[in-house]
Amino acid sequence: MLALTALPGGTTAGGFLLPLTIVLPVVAVLLALMLGGRKAESMVLVLLPVGLGLAIAIVVGVWRAGDSLIYHVGGLAPPLGLALRADGLSAVMLATTAIVICATALFAQATFRTPPGSPEARAPLIFWTLLLAVWATMNIVFLAGDLFNLYVALELLTFAAVPLVCLDGRAETLQAALRYLLFALLGSVLYLLGTALLYGAYGTLDIVLLSGRIRHESAAFAAAGLMTTGLIAKTALFPLHLWLPPAHAGAPAAASAVLSGLVVKASFFLVVRIWFDLMPGLLSEVAAGQMLSTLGAGAILVGSVLALRQPRLKLLIAYSTVAQIGYLFLMFSLSAGPAGSEIALTGGMLQAVSHAFAKAAMFMSAGLIAEALGHDRVAGLGGIGRALPVTVFAFGLAALSLVGLPLSGGFIAKWLLLSAAITTGQWWWTVVMLVGGLLAGGYMFRVLAPALAEVDEPLVLRASGPRYREWVVLTLALGSVLLGFAPLKPFRLLQIGRPTVPEVGSR
Amino acid sequence: LNLLPLSALLLVTALAAPVTMLLACLWRSPREQMHNLLWLAPIPALLASLLAVGGPPLILNHPPYRVALLLDLPGAMLLGVAALLWIVAGFYASSYLRGNSHGARFAICWLLTLTGSVGAFMSFDLASFYLAFALVSIPAYGLIVHDGTTGVQRAGSIYMALTILGETFLLMAFVLLAAGSPGGSLLIRDAMAALPTSPWRDPALALLISGFGLKAGLVPLHVWMPLTYSAAPTPAAAVLSGAVVKAGVIGLIRFLPFSTAMPDWGGALAGIGLLTAFYGVAVGITQTNPRTVLAYSSVSQMGLIAAVCGLGLAKGDEGVVIGAAFYAAHHVLVKGALFLAVGVVATTGSRRLSQVLVLAGVLGLGLGGLPLTGGALAKLAVKPTMGEGMIGFLGTLSAIGTALLMLHFLHRLTLTARPDSEAAAPRGLVLPWLTMAIASVAIPWVLYPAAGVGKLSDALAPAALWAALWPILIGGILAFGLRRWEDRLPRVPEGDLVVMVESAARKSVEWGAMLERAENITRQWPIACLALLAIALLLGAAMLAGR
Repeated sequence: MLALTALPGGTTAGGFLLPLTIVLPVVAVLLALMLGGRKAESMVLVLLPVGLGLAIAIVVGVWRAGDSLIYHVGGLAPPLGLALRADGLSAVMLATTAIVICATALFAQATFRTPPGSPEARAPLIFWTLLLAVWATMNIVFLAGDLFNLYVALELLTFAAVPLVCLDGRAETLQAALRYLLFALLGSVLYLLGTALLYGAYGTLDIVLLSGRIRHESAAFAAAGLMTTGLIAKTALFPLHLWLPPAHAGAPAAASAVLSGLVVKASFFLVVRIWFDLMPGLLSEVAAGQMLSTLGAGAILVGSVLALRQPRLKLLIAYSTVAQIGYLFLMFSLSAGPAGSEIALTGGMLQAVSHAFAKAAMFMSAGLIAEALGHDRVAGLGGIGRALPVTVFAFGLAALSLVGLPLSGGFIAKWLLLSAAITTGQWWWTVVMLVGGLLAGGYMFRVLAPALAEVDEPLVLRASGPRYREWVVLTLALGSVLLGFAPLKPFRLLQIGRPTVPEVGSR
Repeated sequence: LNLLPLSALLLVTALAAPVTMLLACLWRSPREQMHNLLWLAPIPALLASLLAVGGPPLILNHPPYRVALLLDLPGAMLLGVAALLWIVAGFYASSYLRGNSHGARFAICWLLTLTGSVGAFMSFDLASFYLAFALVSIPAYGLIVHDGTTGVQRAGSIYMALTILGETFLLMAFVLLAAGSPGGSLLIRDAMAALPTSPWRDPALALLISGFGLKAGLVPLHVWMPLTYSAAPTPAAAVLSGAVVKAGVIGLIRFLPFSTAMPDWGGALAGIGLLTAFYGVAVGITQTNPRTVLAYSSVSQMGLIAAVCGLGLAKGDEGVVIGAAFYAAHHVLVKGALFLAVGVVATTGSRRLSQVLVLAGVLGLGLGGLPLTGGALAKLAVKPTMGEGMIGFLGTLSAIGTALLMLHFLHRLTLTARPDSEAAAPRGLVLPWLTMAIASVAIPWVLYPAAGVGKLSDALAPAALWAALWPILIGGILAFGLRRWEDRLPRVPEGDLVVMVESAARKSVEWGAMLERAENITRQWPIACLALLAIALLLGAAMLAGR
């Protein structure tokens, strides 16, 4: 075995921020369970600005240092201790998560308010504690530097996410939640198997150490295959998406926003970690990358066509998530070769971030629309644009990003992915992306055309909750528009702290 | 913004004016009043077209901003007349929309489309152009479906489907242009300089011609145009057919590599263009709605412009863009004016009709090159490109066709007059129409020498007058024939080939249902678990195979 790769010694400046992003929400979860529902809600509200501030501080820290921030738990370096690392990728995802969680929490305040007079109610208590738990576990996924820690985080994330699906306790949503749970557990089993194989072969699970030791041999390939498969099951990549539409469409709007915008990105993020950082050599395995991208292409086409056919708005949006996840997986074959790699990674990550904003905004506006109309049938949306102009405007802005029209993050992401496909000579993916854009235009048109139509008799709206939520949704949607100002080239931030090892190990 | 040159400041203001008015629409009371102020928004653009021509490009390249604006001669010609049309149609719209409860939405869509229309003429980099093009295309949907009836919804859906298709073509084309551009520069100039030697030249040109051809209405991608122009409210139809469609023309002017002779691509485009020019006439004379006839005339005219661009490309002649832009500028004015005339006639009784009809006749025949009209100059401007041979003959034939089509239009227009013979159109409609009509005749005479297209004396030479007149006379004779045998013509549905598109769409719905059934199967537990297993095995195998 080769000598240990030299690790940067100990915790870096600013490294202490990393555990805080995890510890604070975890402590809040525990306190919430002890102190009861009403306290849980106020604790979340206190934590929001702190968590957002931490995430921003980490982004700034990584940018300034030009290198990863590292924290060694208990002062012990791997392989003895555990490391938390924030590189450019983690920093971006941390910030995205913080922003979406903050917006969701503000939005959900109206829905999940503990009724006055009672110390706590079931749904609010569960929602607020699980929201914190999702936040904490997402942060672990982005920061943990050790494959077993990542397994634990993924597992916790699943357990935090599943109950969000069935908060209303209807039989239908319980069934959806159970489906989600079982399939996610299957995914976990595969991931764990892969981890065990790697530990058996190389004696460490720390990503940096492992990436130095790993060779191109059967054990490593089997492990990578198993872990990737487990993770794409949790990401709901076609054809493993059976659990996603009922779960994301059945959950309350605020929960759907988190599930669709963020939670599926956690397992996707790990696939990126494995393929780009743990075993960068995998990217030159043409067949495997093409296979992942083929599944992605299937997701784009099938998800979009199914979205076109859904009678209900929330199901339409859920299928759009299935389709948009497909774009994320195109980057695995587009990253082949030095020219493709950076553009495709930037494009893929930008797609992940702008989809997080756009999809969260879209689910929340769907929630407001359903609340106002008492239903979410696409056929019955006529004239809603006049009744809820801000909400429908936000929906439209989010739609820009999903269709890939300027100005939006989705446009830049699609441009970068298309460029990568051209420069790496893989033009066939451009066809899929363009057809996906056309279909997305179609399903968004199905919603927006009736919504913006003028109807002569005014809509009868149910009494709806506070209007400030419309502005929360609009802010998120504007976030996806602002990403449209990103330059059309690879971002330096995403490259920070990532190993630039061209070929790893010997044969 | 330290010491921007005046020209750059004007360009920025031209864009900032409609954007500011859009932002004002965030508040309720300006929003409710906005449809009365639409005429204000394009005034800075008009000033820019007069004062900012040929200034240095304005390039803001401090990330995250990257915008480049430039107003060259073809852009300025089109921007000027388009801005004038937007102003006059804005006045027209404020009378047209009086008492309409949906004015706010109309105003917002109008301003968005206007921003894109202005932006397309002055964008100097790929990203800005794409944004402007999306703006001039997509919000126009709101203008088209303004009246909200069922037929209008159908037109709107077809418009939207084809527009998104066009956006898709252009997105891919622009990515190819950027990929071939030295150092990834996004400036149109750099990308075009590199295009002739780019490895992606052929797909890029095919996509560019499809995308801009769709916007300009080249056969077979013209099907949205007749539906849309007959569905949209009059002022919207005027700007759509006059100004908005020119985004496609400026696209062809900016994105065809005229500096290099490309006989294949040029010949193909010229062929499509000429086909479109005759196709528009042939289908147009079977139509009964005067707006639809005008729409087919637009199809035909855009075909001619595309043919001119194609001939220029075939020869590698950069000078052709001036003639094409002049021709297009004339079309902006005339087509805008004629659509306004349709609205005026619809509110005018038979007694007062003759004045409108005479003026409309002069303008319409002007499109065929009637001597002493702006149209005669437009024909002269493209004459050197068309030449004297076969192509020149086809050009003359198309002038005959245009004259025939316009006389058919006048006939159909007469039939739409108010039954009440004493009725008079409101001033708010008549004045904009007269303004636009006078501008259509006068402005080309000013622009022709000023833009250096040619000398006025050439247009006044007796030989030139006769060459311009006889096709009109033949067109007149044919028009008599048409009146006589009109009943024997086949009834072509509005939008002709669109019927095929719609049946294809219905077919694809069936495929969608099939796909849905298949997807239902993949969502069953046993299948999904098998898929999970299969993917794990295949991924592992794929990785091992690569060793």
